[in-house]
Amino acid sequence: SESLHELEDTDLDALMADLVADLSATEEKLTAEIQGLKAPSPPLSSSLVSTSATSPLPPPQAGKPSKEDIEAQMKADKIKLALEKLKEAKVKKLVVKVLMNDGSSKTLMVDERQTVREVLDNLFEKTHCDANVDWSLCETNYELQLERTFEDHENMVEPLLAWTRDSENKVLFQERRDKFEVFKNPQNFYLWKKDKKTLKDMKDKDKELLIKENFCGPSIIVPDLEGVLYLKEDGKKSWKQRLFQLRASGIYYVPKGKTKSSRDLVCFVQFDNVNVYFGKDVKNRYKAPTDFCFVLKHPQIQKESQYIKYLCCDDDWTMRLWMTGIRIAKYGALLHGNYKAAEKKSVVSSAWTNRSTPSSSNQSTPSPTIRGTRCPPHPQEDFGNLPPPPPPLNEILPPPSPDPVLPPPPPSLASKPSGPHRKQPSGFPPPPLGIDNNLPPPPLPPPIDEAPPDFLPPPPPNTGIGSFPPPPPNTGFGSLPPPPPPPPPPVSSLPPPPASFGGIKKSLHPPPQDPQFLPPPPPDPVFTSAGAPPPPPPPPPAFAATPRANARPAGSVKKMPPAPPKRTTPVAGGGGGGGDLMSELMLAMKKRSDH
Amino acid sequence: MAAWDLSVTVEDLGPDAPPVTISVASDLHVGGVIVKLVEKTQIKRDWSDHALWWDQKKMWLLRTAWTLEKYGIHADARLIFMPQHRPLKLDLPNGKTVRLRACFSDPVFQTVMGICRQLNIRHPEELSLLRPVEEKKKKKDKDLTEEIYDLTEVPLSSVSRPCLYNGMPAHFAESEKMEAVYKMLSITQTPPAPEVITKQYRPASVVDKAHINGRWLDSSRCLMQQNIQENDRLWLRFKYYTFYELDPKYDVVRLTQLYEQARWAILLEDIDCTEEEMMLFGALQYHISKVSQSEPQALSTNTAMDDLESALLSLEVKMEGESSSATELLETMTAPELNDYLKIFRPKRLTLKGYKQYWFKFQDTSIAYFKSKEESIGEPIQQINLKGCEVAPDVNVAAQKFLIRLLIPAPEGMNEVFLRCENERQYAQWMAGCRLASKGKSLADSSFQSEIQSIRSFLAMQRNNSGSSSNAASSDESINTHSLVSPRYHKKYKTKQLTPRILDAYQNVAQLSLSDALMRFLQIWQALPDFGLSYVVVRFKGSRKDEVLGIAPNRLIRIDLGVGDVVKTWRYNNMKQWNVNWDIRQVAIEFEGNVNIAFSCVTADCRIVHEFIGGYIFMSTRSREKSDVLNQELFHKLTGGHEAL
Repeated sequence: SESLHELEDTDLDALMADLVADLSATEEKLTAEIQGLKAPSPPLSSSLVSTSATSPLPPPQAGKPSKEDIEAQMKADKIKLALEKLKEAKVKKLVVKVLMNDGSSKTLMVDERQTVREVLDNLFEKTHCDANVDWSLCETNYELQLERTFEDHENMVEPLLAWTRDSENKVLFQERRDKFEVFKNPQNFYLWKKDKKTLKDMKDKDKELLIKENFCGPSIIVPDLEGVLYLKEDGKKSWKQRLFQLRASGIYYVPKGKTKSSRDLVCFVQFDNVNVYFGKDVKNRYKAPTDFCFVLKHPQIQKESQYIKYLCCDDDWTMRLWMTGIRIAKYGALLHGNYKAAEKKSVVSSAWTNRSTPSSSNQSTPSPTIRGTRCPPHPQEDFGNLPPPPPPLNEILPPPSPDPVLPPPPPSLASKPSGPHRKQPSGFPPPPLGIDNNLPPPPLPPPIDEAPPDFLPPPPPNTGIGSFPPPPPNTGFGSLPPPPPPPPPPVSSLPPPPASFGGIKKSLHPPPQDPQFLPPPPPDPVFTSAGAPPPPPPPPPAFAATPRANARPAGSVKKMPPAPPKRTTPVAGGGGGGGDLMSELMLAMKKRSDH
Repeated sequence: MAAWDLSVTVEDLGPDAPPVTISVASDLHVGGVIVKLVEKTQIKRDWSDHALWWDQKKMWLLRTAWTLEKYGIHADARLIFMPQHRPLKLDLPNGKTVRLRACFSDPVFQTVMGICRQLNIRHPEELSLLRPVEEKKKKKDKDLTEEIYDLTEVPLSSVSRPCLYNGMPAHFAESEKMEAVYKMLSITQTPPAPEVITKQYRPASVVDKAHINGRWLDSSRCLMQQNIQENDRLWLRFKYYTFYELDPKYDVVRLTQLYEQARWAILLEDIDCTEEEMMLFGALQYHISKVSQSEPQALSTNTAMDDLESALLSLEVKMEGESSSATELLETMTAPELNDYLKIFRPKRLTLKGYKQYWFKFQDTSIAYFKSKEESIGEPIQQINLKGCEVAPDVNVAAQKFLIRLLIPAPEGMNEVFLRCENERQYAQWMAGCRLASKGKSLADSSFQSEIQSIRSFLAMQRNNSGSSSNAASSDESINTHSLVSPRYHKKYKTKQLTPRILDAYQNVAQLSLSDALMRFLQIWQALPDFGLSYVVVRFKGSRKDEVLGIAPNRLIRIDLGVGDVVKTWRYNNMKQWNVNWDIRQVAIEFEGNVNIAFSCVTADCRIVHEFIGGYIFMSTRSREKSDVLNQELFHKLTGGHEAL
């Protein structure tokens, strides 16, 4: 059989050249190689990412170096590249619908490796918002009436995978003061026992010292919290008062008749496997003594369960103290890192945003889209060079564009770039200011929110991935590298929009007159059943809809292996008994390359 | 000027020798006195470390240019001519005793610097010396003569040499004996026998904890002035709980000794913690003891490699081999699996059936089971993804019970599942797999094998414990888990009950390297609410009862003894000034916003409180640029106010 030495000398070399030169050919090549190697999975449509990720590589076009050590180095690099590509091939992508403040929504493609921070950055560009540190992504749990702000370092996709198939949970894009309040006013958390005036008059240098002491030392210090809270007992309806204490190692309570001494404390919960949520409407739902309720549960739990812990506080501030304290105990220095990163981002952004005040956090602002009148900064260049970048949609979709992140679209139908326009070079300036300045005040034409052209691809002419089995028009979602089991889980994060929003109806209609427009993700069954006006997209191809129907959260215990999921690519049909999608794909590739 | 006779006791002549009398004039400087003395004794030796001690005035005559007149010395002065560096027995944080030569003439602050230089401990400003607690000597204890590690032979001049040999200061490399001393300093001690812990004094209250702080020596005066004699015993301890730039690379001894001090503080309940925290401390002690025995020199090496790199490495190794085919290569890269017959029990399903046997397959982070091995190609009966689940052992080696309890999250709640293994080997593998999977790691993770190993060694421990207690010391695997927790838990749990609890905590730390484990231990210690508090019983001005002042690195707290609770906190950064009225022995502090407090000290001299506060303020002035040079002057200024000479 083929030895790796040979492989290195021939194929990898060629591969390198190809990578830079011709993307589609690369795919073919690599696929062919891997086929020969009986690789588990061929990488699909991820070349751009890999290329940019390995920028330090000497360009192979420069001619083959004669020295052996250079060759050895190149060999190592190539192997690394090949390994990265193998990894890349397994990456899942999800279509996530994010609700804006005004009730409109944006649909994003999220790579399973992307963090919340990256998704936020992505949203900043799409919405032109002021990028202040409070912008957050939150999840709501409809069934349990819970709400949680994602931490910026968290993986974006993971919590969404825990949602049930027919979930009405939502992802919100909102300003949340609580996310980083502890870094803006640490005294309110760490010196909360002091009188209000002292706290209010705290000097900046004293605040800094508090942050330094509690977040920058050898270990994270959690706020000193102790107090009586109401606890809803496991599975029962009654609420009992208990004296709770927060420690770095968990929440404890003082058992009846015992002292507050540490050794008598009983552990109530440790934080490894739980998240903290805000519980809504608990007075009605659970006869809670107050509506200031925080909830601790395993992120996977989505329905009523005795494993969910409800704790009620006397007032709103106490609740926020506890919730923040728990987050500090759980995430520690990560939170501080998140804050610093968010701050950096907002400083850069505010430098570019001339009119809107970065610190303003007016919750009632109808849409983030209109906040910044100018375009946010253009980290396109950064994106292009960032190793290994979360591939924005453009990177993984045809036609391949040299600019992975396109400038935000000018918010008018007229100026909407058509296909060719999108091939702008990296670092191309944002839409002309003139257009921006002439922007009509809110409300904006709703369709833009629904279908920003920079992430919904035009119906692919498919030149970019010519080597592929021709994907259906909807490849944007269907043909994304679906790893072997589980099947690509396009989480249905498209809950019905709240009926109360008048504007939403309009926003749901894609502009039929726009030829470039691609239908939003296939209609969710829930969507229609909830009575919201169904969008009139071009009828989605049948197979594109099927995976959605079959989509199930990975990691769910109960719904294990159903009938093999339907494939989204034509190969799937012919593949037959191959077992998993990848091998089927491979088979198809082979046929092609044998040709 | 008139000459007169001055008699000086020369120590080197022996205890019984009469004083040497020399003829001096009042304008003779101290240096001249020394020259005359040396000439008179006619002993040839290096006198450079010798100096004159004025016994009545309790002072050293260190300014050799000063005349006798300037010092005010007359014929009646009792002077002793003796070396400034003298042997001292030091009780280290790890409980071992080292004998070394310390400076008796410098202020204690500098003496500690010299000691730390010999022991290779950075940041000596964090440590200090205190008088030992008088031990009630029981007669039977006297038989056990304590081992003393001797460092008095170390030439004082060689200590300052910075060159390190094998990460060890050069002066420890001179003999095997010296290397043994270094080993004692830099390697953690094995967990003490439970009886040893039980026998030691344990403070029962905050007031008890306050007493120790009355024993600190004065940093601004020398040992001789504080009546410390040659060969006396003193404790060397970390005094200021703010450890600057702790770095496992350079701080081997410092880290080890700090760990030991922290460990004893936990074991003797000098600092309170919860049961869960105690179990984690226990698990870390077990792990540290195990790792330090197996890899004593690996403290600073970091072997962690990300899986890509290790995969790359194996790839390259493969490439060098001639016969290795690419196919083979990729096979090694595919994730390993576990396949075996196990029994499963799901208590939630109210079936009468108990454990039922199936063919189990562990792949990636999921377990799937089939009716039989033959049917394992088809659809599994069920597949369980273990990511994010809770894994707990339920093991009794003596009864050959090997259960893995899984609490698996699902949208509806947590599902309880028990897996029953046949034997230790099978249990260790599947348990290791479950643990990795619960953290989202697959069996291909590099830690899989070591996870198996640590589970097996813990099983071995339980096996030994469950056997007769006499053979417990036979193997080094066997640690009595009572050695890892405070005596409170000796009473609460039998070792049989304690071991699984510590094992439970152990799973989260089993993969740590030695230095990471030490750092983790210190981190958890430092995160305890009461960490860094030194207590002193005080009487606040205007108050009629004793209260406790807690002195922390960043604040002072007032504890009401009646309530047992913190009633007030003052932070140093709000402090405008503090004063000591030495006549009425009262400390007065002014904070911003016209807050004034004043108190007298009951269990410690107010000098000690003063030095603590000044010391912590000094610690907060340390900065990276100047970390090599210690601003001694500032320290004394902040801590030694009363020494206005």
